[in-house]
Amino acid sequence: MRQALWTHPIHLVVGLTLWSAWFVTMYGGLSVACAVAPPAPEQGPLTLLNAGLALLTLVTAAFLAWLGWKCFHASRQENVRAAHFCALVSSGLYVASIVAVLFVGMPVLGLPPCV
Amino acid sequence: MTDSSRKTNPDEDTQRLVKDLETVWANPRGLGALTIVNHTTVGLRFMLTGMAFFLVGGVLAMLIRSQLAFPGQNFMAPEIYNQVVTMHGTVMMFLFAIPILEGLAIYMIPKMIGARDLVCPRLSAFGYWCYLFGGLILLSSLFMEMAPESGWFMYTPLSGKVYSPGLGSDFWLLGITFVEISALSAGVELVVSILRTRTQGMALHKMPLFAWYILAMAMMIVVGFPPLILGSVLLELERAVGMPFFDVAGGGDPILWQHLFWLFGHPEVYIIFLPGAGIVSTLIPVFAGRPIVGYGWAVFAVITTGFISFGLWVHHMFTVGMPQLAQTFFSAASMLVAVPTGIQIFLWLATLWLGKPRMQVPMLWVFGFLFVFVLGGLTGVMLALVPFNWQVHDTHFVVAHMHYVLVGGMFFPLIGGLYYWLPLFSGRMPSQTLGKWGFWLTFLGFNGTFLVMHWTGLLGMPRRVYTYGADEGWELFNLISSVSSFLMAMGIAMILADFILHFRFGKPARQNPWNADTLEWATSMPPSPYNFVSLPKVESRHPLWEQPQLPQAIAEGRYGLAAAFHGRREIWGTDPLTGKLREVIHLPTNSWWPLFAALALAVVCISLLLRWYPLAGIAVLVAAGFLLRWSWENGTHSRAAPDARDQPGNPPLHSRTMDGPGVWTMAVTLLADGAFFLSLLFGWFYLWTISPEWSMPAESPLSLTLLVVAGLALSAGWWWLERCVRRLRHRQGDGLAKGMAMITGLGIVQLALLGWVLVEAELDVTATAHDAVLMVSLVYVMLHSGLGVILTLLQGLRVGYGYVGVEAPLEPVVVRLLWRYNLGGYWVIVVSMAVLPSVIGGSV
Amino acid sequence: MRLMRAQLIRVWSIPTFLAVLLTGCAGDKSILDPAGRGAADVALVWWGMLGFFSLVLITVVALWLYTFRPRSSRARTAIEEKRLARRLILGGGVLLPVATIVVLMIFGVPAGQRMLPVPLGTPPDVIEVTGHQWWWEVRYPGAEGGEVVTANQVVMPAGEPVDFHVTGADVIHSFWIPRLGGKIDMVPGRTNRIRLEADSPGVFGAQCAEFCGTQHAHMQLYVKAMERSDYEAWLAERQVPTLETLAVQSDAHAPAREAFVEYCAQCHRVAGLAVPDSQWELAPIQGPDLSDIGARPTLGAGVLAMEEGAIGDWLRRHQQLKPGNRMPAHLGLEPRTLQAIGDWLETLSP
Repeated sequence: MRQALWTHPIHLVVGLTLWSAWFVTMYGGLSVACAVAPPAPEQGPLTLLNAGLALLTLVTAAFLAWLGWKCFHASRQENVRAAHFCALVSSGLYVASIVAVLFVGMPVLGLPPCV
Repeated sequence: MTDSSRKTNPDEDTQRLVKDLETVWANPRGLGALTIVNHTTVGLRFMLTGMAFFLVGGVLAMLIRSQLAFPGQNFMAPEIYNQVVTMHGTVMMFLFAIPILEGLAIYMIPKMIGARDLVCPRLSAFGYWCYLFGGLILLSSLFMEMAPESGWFMYTPLSGKVYSPGLGSDFWLLGITFVEISALSAGVELVVSILRTRTQGMALHKMPLFAWYILAMAMMIVVGFPPLILGSVLLELERAVGMPFFDVAGGGDPILWQHLFWLFGHPEVYIIFLPGAGIVSTLIPVFAGRPIVGYGWAVFAVITTGFISFGLWVHHMFTVGMPQLAQTFFSAASMLVAVPTGIQIFLWLATLWLGKPRMQVPMLWVFGFLFVFVLGGLTGVMLALVPFNWQVHDTHFVVAHMHYVLVGGMFFPLIGGLYYWLPLFSGRMPSQTLGKWGFWLTFLGFNGTFLVMHWTGLLGMPRRVYTYGADEGWELFNLISSVSSFLMAMGIAMILADFILHFRFGKPARQNPWNADTLEWATSMPPSPYNFVSLPKVESRHPLWEQPQLPQAIAEGRYGLAAAFHGRREIWGTDPLTGKLREVIHLPTNSWWPLFAALALAVVCISLLLRWYPLAGIAVLVAAGFLLRWSWENGTHSRAAPDARDQPGNPPLHSRTMDGPGVWTMAVTLLADGAFFLSLLFGWFYLWTISPEWSMPAESPLSLTLLVVAGLALSAGWWWLERCVRRLRHRQGDGLAKGMAMITGLGIVQLALLGWVLVEAELDVTATAHDAVLMVSLVYVMLHSGLGVILTLLQGLRVGYGYVGVEAPLEPVVVRLLWRYNLGGYWVIVVSMAVLPSVIGGSV
Repeated sequence: MRLMRAQLIRVWSIPTFLAVLLTGCAGDKSILDPAGRGAADVALVWWGMLGFFSLVLITVVALWLYTFRPRSSRARTAIEEKRLARRLILGGGVLLPVATIVVLMIFGVPAGQRMLPVPLGTPPDVIEVTGHQWWWEVRYPGAEGGEVVTANQVVMPAGEPVDFHVTGADVIHSFWIPRLGGKIDMVPGRTNRIRLEADSPGVFGAQCAEFCGTQHAHMQLYVKAMERSDYEAWLAERQVPTLETLAVQSDAHAPAREAFVEYCAQCHRVAGLAVPDSQWELAPIQGPDLSDIGARPTLGAGVLAMEEGAIGDWLRRHQQLKPGNRMPAHLGLEPRTLQAIGDWLETLSP
C-alpha cells in the first residue's frame, strides 16, 4: 500500500504543480510586497523580501527533492511495468521541478526587488 | 471472453456482425447527416472547415504583404489594413490552428487507442457546430467592413467602447468565446477518452506517443482557455454595460486584460506546438523503421512543456513596466522551455541515427519542421532575455519569430502528418512530384519571407504599421518578404492541389502503406464509422510491428466487443493506468440536440451583438432547454441503451457503475471551471493590490450574515447528497427521490438568500470595478447553484422514472461533483470578497 | 563591427547576407547601430547570441542530414544503442540548453541594468512624455524658470543619463528610441520610467511601438541630443514669457491670431494667446501645444517636413495625409484663412 502511494500516476503532475504554485507565490508575493511596502532601491538585492523569496525557493526545492527520492526508490522496487514507468518518469519530473525552482529562483540573489 | 462465443462458421458470423455494426453505427445521409456524431465524420468536418478558414487567413496575409511590399502604398486604407491584420491573426489562431489540430486528434485518437468513438460523441458534434457558427459570425464582420481592428490580442483601452465604438470588438469577443466552447468541449472529451477508453491492455506506458501529446494539449486547453473566456466576458460587459474592469478611472486596470489574455495566449502557443511535435514523434519512428529512442524521455518532455508553458505569460509583457526581478522570473521560466524542447529534438535525432531513415514526402516536411522550428525556438530564447526583448518587442523581429515557431511547430508537421495519413483518409497515395514541389516552394518561400523579417525588425520597423517611409531603409527587406510570400502561397496551392487530385488520381494504397506501428492502420481505408469490428487486446507499444496479422484478426471479429445485436454503440472503459477492463461504455447515437443547442447559442451570440437583450435571454433559455433535454436522454434512458442485456463475461455497462466516464467528464469540466474561477480570483486580488485608482468601501456592501446562512444551506444540501451517494454505494436506494427533493429545496433557499444579498448590496456596477467584480462573482456563484438545483431536481425525476437508482447509480455521483465544486467555490468567494476586505480593511 | 560582419557572412543565410552587404546595420531606428550605452550593451548581446545560436542551428541540421547517409548494415548492440542515445539526449537535449541559458542569464540580464531608473548620486534630468492618439506630448518639469512644453520632438542632453517618465493619455502607446535603448509602454493611469543616454550629440528616429489604432504608423518622434549648454539654451528659449512675446510680436498676423482663437484654441494652446481656461477644459480632445511649432522639424508627428508653407498645406490636407487623425477636416474654413493661420504659426520659432 505504501508502495502504491509512491507509484501512483498522480506524481506525474505533482512536482510541476508544486512548481507552478511556488511560481505564483513568488510572483504574487513580490508584486504585493512591492505595491504595499517596497524596500528602498538603495538596498539593492540585500532585502528581507529577497531573503524570504530565497528561503521559500530552498524549502520548495528540498520538499521536491524528498518527493522525488521517494518516487525513485519506489520505482526500483516496483514490478508492475506501468507503475514502474510512472514512478520513474515522476522522479525525473521531480528533478525537473527542482531545476526549474532553482533556476527561476536564482535572480533573487542578484537583483533589487522592486525596481 | 469473445473466444468462447465463436461458433463453427466464422465467415457467416463475421458477416452478420459487420451487418449489425453497420446498422448501429450508420451515418445517415441527406438532411440527417446534420445529426452525425461519429468522430471520424466530425474530425473530417473540423479539418475541412479549418482548411477553409486557413485559406481566408492566407488571403489576408497576401493582402498584408501586398500593402507592405513598397513604402507609402495606398493599396488599403489604414482602417481596412488594421482589420485585415487583426483578422489574419485571429483567423489563423482561433479558426485554423487549434480547430484543425483538434479535428486531427478527434479523428485519430480513437483509432490509435483502439476505440470506436470518443467518449462523448454528441459533445464532439456540438463543438463542431459551435466552431462553425462562431467562425462564420466572426468572419461575416470582415465582409461588412466592421471587423475587429485592435490587433488580435485586443488590448484595452484600444478595444474598449471609447476607442473602438463600432461592433468590431464585440464580434471578436462574442465570436471567439463561442468558438472556445468548441475547443473546451474537444479538450474535455479528449482527456477523458485517452485516460478511460484505451483498448484492453494498453497501459499508460504503452500508449502511442501521439496520445501523450494530445493528452497534454487537451489538458492545457482545459486549463488555458478559461482565462481568456473570463477576459472576454469582462471586456464585453465593460463595452455593453459599462462595468469598468479595465478602465483606470473606475478603479480597473488595462494591464489586467493583458494578464488574462496571455495567461491563455502563451499556453496557446504550446497547445498548437504539442500536437505538431506529436505528429513528428509519430512519423520519425515509422520512417526510421525503429521504435522511438527514449519513450520515457518524450513523456517527460511533454509533461514538462505543458506545465512550464503556464509560467511564461509575462514574457509578452516585459515592457509594461513591472519590477525587473519579476520579469526575470518569467524570463528564466521562458528559457527553461528550451530544455524539454531540446530533449525532444535530440531524441528524434537519436531515433534517426539508430534507424534507417527513408526520405519520403512526409519526412521532407519533418525536415522543414526541424529547420524552421529550431530557428524559431532559438530566437525565442533570445526574446526571453529581458533587455533584448525591450529592444525587439513589438517589432517585425517578433513577427518573424512567431511565424517561425507557429508555422514551424504546427504547419509543417501538420502537412507532413496529412501526407502521412492521406492513404487512411482516402485509400490512395499522393503524388511524389507535386508533393516535393509543394514542399520546396513553401519552404523557400517561407524562409524568404520571414528570415529577412528578423532583420527588418532589428532595423526598427514596428509591427502592425500600415505603411512606412521610403527613407527608413526597410524597403528592400519588405520587398523580399512580399515576393517570397507569394512563392509560399504557390507552394501551398500546389499541396492543396495534390490533396484534392489524389482522391481521383492517386494510386490505391495497400494496407499499412508506410509500415507503421500504430492501430489506426488496422482500420479499413477509409475507415468505417466503428473503426474496428472487434477491439484488440494490445500488449506492446507497436502492435502492428509485432503482430502484422492484427488487422485481419480484428476484422474477423476475434477480439472484444464483437457484438452489436443489442443496438448499442459500445467501447471499452479501461483502467487509466494499467488498461485493465472496467466497464463497457455505451455511447449515445446520432442526434439533433447538438445542432439545435449550437443554433440557439448562435442566436444568443447574434442578439448580444445587436444588443437585443430580450431575444438573447429567450435564446439562452431555449439553449438551456435543449441541453437539458439532451442530458435527459442519457444513462439508462431507452434512447441511450435500447437493450440493457450484458454480454456474458463482459464487465458491466458504465451506467450501472459508480465510476463511469461521466464522472471523469464532469471532473475535467470542473477543472476548466476552476481555472475560470481562479482567473476571476486573480482579477479580484490583482485589481485590489495593483490597480492605480482602486477604491474599496471600508465595509463590504455584502451582508456577511446572509452569506453565511446561505452557505449553511448549501453545505447542508451537499452533506445530504454525499449521504445519498454513500447509501447508493451500499445499495440502499430508499428515500433517494425524497432526498433529491430536499437537496433541491436547500439549493433554492441558498439561491433566494443570495438574491437578497444582491438586492440589499445595491451595487453600483458602472461606477467602480470593485462593485462590478462583486456582481460578476455573485452571478457566477448563483449560476452554479442554479445549475446544481436544476440537475438535482432532474435527478429526483429520473429516480421516479427508474433511470436512476440502486441498479444505475452513476448520475448522482456526477451531480455530487458539481455540489462539491459549488461548496468549495462559494466559501472561497465569501472569504476573499466579504471577509478578507473587512479584516484587512479599506483601500490598499 | 567589421569583425562581427565577417563572422556573419559565414553563418547567416544568403538573402540576409546580401541585405547586410547592401545597407548594413545603419539606420535611423536601427538597434544594430547603437548611439547610447544601453543600446550598445544589448547590441553586443545580440551579436553574441546570433553567433552561438547560428552554430547550434547549423550543427543540429547537419547532424539530422547526416543520419540519412547510406550506411553499412552492421547492427549495433543494444548496449551501444543505449549509450549513443543517452549521449545525444543528455548532451544535446539537457546539457547544451541548460548551459546556454545559465550563461545567457548571467551575462544577458545585466545588459539591461543601465536602463533601470535606480537612484544616482546626481539625479538625472527628467523628461515627461505622454502618448496621445497619434502624437507625443513632451514636458520638461525641471527646466529652470518653469516647465517647458513641446510636442513630437524630444531634445535631450548628450553624454549623461536622462530619465523618461512616460504615460498614455488615451490608449497604450510605447516609447522607444531604438538607437538609445529599450522601449517602455505608456499605460494610461501609470507612469513608467526608463533611463536612456546618448553618447554624443545627434539626431535619432523614434516611433510608437505599441499598436495604438488607425494612425499607429504615423506616430513618429524626432529625438535630438545636444551638448549640455545647447540643451539649456534650447530650454531657456522656450520659457513662457519668451514664447508669449513671440506669439504676439507682429501685427501683420493679428487676423490669423484671431482666427486661431476662434477655430483652433479649443484644442491647441499657444502661450500668450488669451483663451479662457474654461474653454480649454471643455476641449473635446487635447491637441499638441503649438507655442514653438515653427521650430519643430516635422508636422503631424512625422508626416510632413517643416518647410515654408507646410503648415497651411497640412491644415488643408491633413485628413488625406494622415487619414483618421483626430483633428476635424476644417471643411468650413477658407483655404486663405488656413494659409494665414499656417503662416503665423510658422513664425512661432524661438
